Amino acid sequence: MFGCFEAVLSLCGRSESDNYRLRERIREGDSSIWESEDFIMGLSSTATTNEGIQLCIFDLRRGQHEGQELDKILFFFPADLSFSTQLSVIGLSEGLITFTRIFSPDAACEVIEAERHSHVFYQAEPDIWMVMVVEKNKDTEAIWRNDALQRVLKEVHSLFVMFHGSIRALLEKEPGGGVARSHLYSFVMDYLTDFLVAKKLHLPSFRDCLKERGTVQMLTVGREAAIEVQSLVRILESACPGNTACNSLVLFQDLLVSTTLSPDDTVNLFAYAVLRLTPRSLSHGTNSWSYLRKGSTASHVPTGSISDNSGSATEQSYTSHDTSPGRQGQRYHIPRPLQRDKWSKGKDGFLVTETWGAEVGSLIPATPTVWLQQTDERMYLCVFQQKYLTVILLIPVSSIINGEQGISMVKQLVLETASLNIFKVEERLSRGWGGGNAYHVSGYRYLLCDRDRNISRASPPGKVTTLTKDSLLALNKLREEVDVEKSRAKWDDPNHDKDLEICIRARNNAWVIARLTKGKELYMVLEKANETLLYASDAVEKFSNRYCNGTFSLD
Amino acid sequence: MSAKALNSQPGVALGGSGTLSHVYIQHPPLRCTIPGSKGLFYDDGNKLLLSVTSDQVFAWKTVPLTPPDAPSCDSIGEGPVLSVRYSLDAKVLGIQRSNHEIQFKNRETGEALIHRCRLESEIILGFFWIDCPTCDVVIVKTSGLDLFTYEPEVKILRLVETKKLNVCWYVYTHESRMVLLASGMQCKTFTGFQFSSGGIIRLPRFDMAMAQAEVNKKPVLAAEDVHIVTIYGRIYCLQVDRVAMLLHLYRFYRDAVIQQGSLTIYSSKIAVSVVDNVLLVHQVDAKVVILYDMFADSRAPISAPLPLLVRGLPRANASSSRSSINDALHIETNEMSDHEGSVYGEGWIFLVPDLICDFVNGFLWRIHLDLEAIAASNSEVPSILDFLQRRKLETNKAKQLCLAITRAVILERRPVLMVARAMDVLVNCFSHSMKMGGARRTVSGESTSTPTTQHGNNSRTVVDDPMSRVQTHGRSTKHEPATVSGVVSESIHYRTKDVDNESLGLTTFSTIDRSSTLLVSHSEENVNLALQNTSSGEPLQKPLSSEFHDLGTKEGIKSIDAGTSDVEAEQSSSESQLSPSSSRFDSNVSVESQVPSAAISPDEMYCSVFALIEEEMAGDPAYLVAIIVEYLRSAAVEKLKVHPNLYVLTVQLLARSDRYAELGLFVMNKILEPSKEVALQLLESGRQNLPTRKLGMDMLRRLSLHHDYVLLLVQDGYYLEALRYVRKNKVNTIRPSLFLDATISSNDLQHLAAVLRFFSDFIPGFTNTSDHETYYRILNEMNSSVAA
Repeated sequence: MFGCFEAVLSLCGRSESDNYRLRERIREGDSSIWESEDFIMGLSSTATTNEGIQLCIFDLRRGQHEGQELDKILFFFPADLSFSTQLSVIGLSEGLITFTRIFSPDAACEVIEAERHSHVFYQAEPDIWMVMVVEKNKDTEAIWRNDALQRVLKEVHSLFVMFHGSIRALLEKEPGGGVARSHLYSFVMDYLTDFLVAKKLHLPSFRDCLKERGTVQMLTVGREAAIEVQSLVRILESACPGNTACNSLVLFQDLLVSTTLSPDDTVNLFAYAVLRLTPRSLSHGTNSWSYLRKGSTASHVPTGSISDNSGSATEQSYTSHDTSPGRQGQRYHIPRPLQRDKWSKGKDGFLVTETWGAEVGSLIPATPTVWLQQTDERMYLCVFQQKYLTVILLIPVSSIINGEQGISMVKQLVLETASLNIFKVEERLSRGWGGGNAYHVSGYRYLLCDRDRNISRASPPGKVTTLTKDSLLALNKLREEVDVEKSRAKWDDPNHDKDLEICIRARNNAWVIARLTKGKELYMVLEKANETLLYASDAVEKFSNRYCNGTFSLD
Repeated sequence: MSAKALNSQPGVALGGSGTLSHVYIQHPPLRCTIPGSKGLFYDDGNKLLLSVTSDQVFAWKTVPLTPPDAPSCDSIGEGPVLSVRYSLDAKVLGIQRSNHEIQFKNRETGEALIHRCRLESEIILGFFWIDCPTCDVVIVKTSGLDLFTYEPEVKILRLVETKKLNVCWYVYTHESRMVLLASGMQCKTFTGFQFSSGGIIRLPRFDMAMAQAEVNKKPVLAAEDVHIVTIYGRIYCLQVDRVAMLLHLYRFYRDAVIQQGSLTIYSSKIAVSVVDNVLLVHQVDAKVVILYDMFADSRAPISAPLPLLVRGLPRANASSSRSSINDALHIETNEMSDHEGSVYGEGWIFLVPDLICDFVNGFLWRIHLDLEAIAASNSEVPSILDFLQRRKLETNKAKQLCLAITRAVILERRPVLMVARAMDVLVNCFSHSMKMGGARRTVSGESTSTPTTQHGNNSRTVVDDPMSRVQTHGRSTKHEPATVSGVVSESIHYRTKDVDNESLGLTTFSTIDRSSTLLVSHSEENVNLALQNTSSGEPLQKPLSSEFHDLGTKEGIKSIDAGTSDVEAEQSSSESQLSPSSSRFDSNVSVESQVPSAAISPDEMYCSVFALIEEEMAGDPAYLVAIIVEYLRSAAVEKLKVHPNLYVLTVQLLARSDRYAELGLFVMNKILEPSKEVALQLLESGRQNLPTRKLGMDMLRRLSLHHDYVLLLVQDGYYLEALRYVRKNKVNTIRPSLFLDATISSNDLQHLAAVLRFFSDFIPGFTNTSDHETYYRILNEMNSSVAA
């Protein structure tokens, strides 16, 4: 087994990319970089960000002339930092990007690891960069995996594009940047409220290493149920006007059941649905009073109230900030799709929100629209909910001639033709629903990813919390290594999947295992299997045969 | 359809070309003219048409109607004949000579015995032969029923039982084994008896509904206004209410008679036929016929009233095929043209269940359904498919029609939900026929049975068989009659078991006349349930009141019960009634090698529907996928396996429209069941989409198609993975040189070395082969060239 594994490593790891080399150089330390970084951060700390987190979005094509540097900045969190601080963060990032592009024009720098901070880079659009600066302070909880942070940046950007179109397009539409800034501001701020726990932003840390952002979690259904779902999907599509191609997603609880979208679009809509549309996320907000009444100490309530506070507070500071660079005040309406508690279930079972405003001269809330990446088409977003079943129907805007009236006709048609099927599907899935811990496999703590389809499945969070910190740290480290290996292999040959197997004995004698094969990844912590490597390997084999159709048991 | 519309059709010309109709009679008819004939009689027990002359009786088999046989002939001696019937074993001829006298004549010995009424006041209304275990002959008199056994050895009729009642007139059909005795001032109070092989069942007395025209004038019900019909194994009584212009329907259960709605009639003269379980109500005055399918709860007609058509009337060239009897035909032709207006003419008598006898001309016609016309006139696709699937006479035609309709609705891109319902119908019917074991039955050996053997001594076999079956079989259901041909016994056996499971005995009866058997057993299904509870031997003692009480509400449940067993009945009866229009009510199998059911198997569904329309649907793959999904859903509900090529087609369609995400879902959820065909198609379709290709690879692996899987791995450049797989699964069908060649062509030194090393290590003696030598040399050459 290991003989082969070594062979694989030796075969695949024969060359290094420029990118990797650069990263190594930075990590190993060029003292001048360290100093300059510390200097900047020292400045920033005077601005009292107790969060220890900064997030900025900037456009390298803007503010090229001296005195116009502020124009680069499209978004900065926290917004109350002084411009000079903001500029110095962005200046460093820009400098590094420019520098590393010399070596790797296509993929400039990914991360800077400094003594007290990490800078995580993500190029969202050509020349539009997102940088997250996180503090590595004394608090030992603050251990991240760069890829996880990058995925946060990627997610917020993808969602933004889904609702508002690309940042570049907004900038081109309104070269002053006001539109882009105000959209970005409300959107990213709304997004960040989800990370707020007790006045602090909690970004994904090593404790979340058995989760994978930017993937979809699927409900496992039997063949008959799957056919019934597909039948529903076809009926939904046939309810759409004309011969236009509608799309749909079906979710049960917080899990995806069916999609007709491309994997990327699926990921985005799924992420949004889980954040704001599913029954859990709906009740999470609107019924917050019930937590109070029950006297529950759930963390949602303080979170919610703080997010509101911070939201309004920053909004004020934002508007003042917004006016300063000489932009006109925002007279247009900015939809805030990620604002909490704005969706509610209407009488007809469709979810409604007023965050998109209303059509001119009517009181009916406008139907939200989203952009699909794959087709670059604008779609109306209609969401129907039947108990735990959420059906998202996407109707091309171009196919509806008479706006809201047309939409309500489609909704009516959907109710007429499909409501019985929806009801039946919901019932069937409810019957088969194994509860939140349905995918728990006792003795295992795992994460399973299918990179081809952006699907993941993991041990339920409640079970992951039983792992010791040592195990989680070890796994976090292991994943970091695997991320590096993967990106190296990807540079070598993008079409050739890397097979990889790593078993590590952690400090607490737990086995921490990673297996990659054919674009599928399995990460696993076995705390109780503290015997031999053979034992651990058998455990993986069993798991693979039982739950992964033998995908990972190839030797 | 107003009465006016109906009546406005003037004397319908026979067989006018292009005439629209749903029902037809096929020219030429059976001609039963005998010089000196004094009258025609129909012996429905033996399905014989009898023509009586002054001292002889001629008998024509009506099953099959064509080709016409020469009639058999019996001498009966001089004397008046009021009615005549052969015994069910055809050994004895019963002739009613007067209102007081019936003569029984043994056909072999010629011996005769005369039965007379004991009382002068009694009048014999009629008689019939039955196949009860306890008696053979029933004589209906004004004072009641006398049940006799005929004992040829001692040449007497032994009186078994007498049922005393006042009888005005009676109605009996052998098909139902049921006699209805009318009594009362208006003749609307009825007592019924059923003479099943399980015994004699007395039905509760009941009144028929009669509307009153005027206060003091009460109409009297006539015998010709009451019809007993058997449809889908259920026994109904149809009663014409001339005042209300309604045809009332009563359904018989063993312990109850339930009125089940009424049909509007448009003619004061009504005749009723049943063809292939479709009820035909002839509106004689209006010269149209209305069709009803009593299977569904709906009492709406299947289609609009249309005239009865005479098909195949000899026109210019029609007679060429029948040149042998050309002369006769010419005469016929003339006759027919002479009597052009004779459809629903004066001389027409409608015989149970589907015959028309023209007494004036001595013709016998059989009524046929024109399935195409019925299908064409109805746009409600699921219901018409349902209707066609229930047809048992022309199963092949029904099936072809169903396939054509299904193709048409898909090609017309009808709404998915509607097509889905159509699919449900087809799949349910097939699944049902599978469960009944009928669909795939191969008919063999039937050639030994009836049609040929009967020819010599016509009607003998027909009569013979049932009798012997009664004897061997009548009392114990479990063993099979020795005299029946293999196929028959098989089907009987299986049905017996079936029915036994869910209802009590009574099936014994089934052996006699399949169609009626089932009728009987099913007409009693509720009874059977009750019986099982009490398990008393006496059928009629059961909680009558409660049954009655519940009937209204339990109707649904019951009809479900009935539904299943009825279908079963049809299924099995289909074996005997196999299509060719003519041969069906032959109680003895006259099976033709034809598909015994209209049910459409998944294979046929693929080959005759999806495969055929695929090309035409190329422009709209999404719609076709939706239809396939609906079909899969139907099939999955019934646990049917579909044709693997349907999955392949689905993969193609999804890939063609770039719907790879859905394709992935379909595969992962096993909506497309794994098979090598599907895997190969995934690989093929995955050329443009790597994840899809991986699905195909994965499917190959999980199907343990090691050889193909390893070849693909090598092809994709996964040499080491392939070797690991080979070692793990002990695949030894692949030559080492294949791997080695592949690695050389990849021009990768390390791969070649690794592969070479693998074979050296794991194949004993590999180092001594020429392969090793060759590739080792190549490796060294490559090595040195790299070094250089």
